[in-house]
Amino acid sequence: MSAHDHAEGLPHQPETATLEGRNKILGFWIFLGAETVLFGTLFSAYLALRHNVMDGPHPSELFQLPMVFAATMILLTSSLTSVFAVQALHSHKKNAMVGWLLVTILLGLGFLGLEIYEFSEYVHEGHGFTTSAFSSAFYTLVGFHGAHVAFGILWIGLLILQIFKKDLTVVTAPKIYVSAIYWHFIDVVWVFIFTVVYLMGKVG
Amino acid sequence: MSSNHSATGEQAKRHRTEGPKKHVVAFVMSLALTIIAFAAVAAGEINTTFTYIILVSMAILQVFVQMAFWMHMKDRGHLFPIIAIFAGVIIVFTMVIMALYWVWW
Repeated sequence: MSAHDHAEGLPHQPETATLEGRNKILGFWIFLGAETVLFGTLFSAYLALRHNVMDGPHPSELFQLPMVFAATMILLTSSLTSVFAVQALHSHKKNAMVGWLLVTILLGLGFLGLEIYEFSEYVHEGHGFTTSAFSSAFYTLVGFHGAHVAFGILWIGLLILQIFKKDLTVVTAPKIYVSAIYWHFIDVVWVFIFTVVYLMGKVG
Repeated sequence: MSSNHSATGEQAKRHRTEGPKKHVVAFVMSLALTIIAFAAVAAGEINTTFTYIILVSMAILQVFVQMAFWMHMKDRGHLFPIIAIFAGVIIVFTMVIMALYWVWW
């Protein structure tokens, strides 16, 4: 395997080798702190409004646990594959890294497809965006998360193209690292969504 | 395990490279915490308050596991990431408690 081909002169952890790379990672963490607040507002709105169903369906009769469980497994696995991509980055295996990133993207697409199917099912069951305060808060919170997944897929996809064009360098490595951190953050937010929205909604 | 270690060390040109083992362990832990949460709801025999306590504890544990291992927060030089996230979390808790207990309910 030609693992060393592109690795000449690349430091062990290329993402933190330059000041620019370290600043990029620090700045991204501050951004994630702000993202935490963004999702916090959406969660607090959802928690306040989740019992106001009006004539629409109640969460416990709407949510299907097997589908949510499948979506959770897909996203959890994609988080693991993106950490494998970072490990491949650390050992300078470009092809392995791109491979793991592709698997991550595919799993992300699977998650997104499942969510779109789920939303269309709900609309058929009379749970539209304007049905009730609960439905508006639900679609805003879960939809925002879905939009983050969609953005992540687009972002990582473009990074893969850039890796082919510019190769693995101290400039491109921080971007890969930061996108992996973003992907884990999406998974962390999903942990709270499946807990607070789906499982607590099922309990009542 | 030692043979696995030397193989990865060779490929990384003698740099100390972390193996996939701890990430797989984090994955299995996340998996177990998720399954406990879903099982607690699927069983449906436990009372609501107790189920809520199980669900929230499992979620918090899982977030700690994922942040420590996958987001590398347990690694060296992650003081500022921890400060950034905790600042966010403190605002979220203030906001949620204020919005729910003080303003809304």
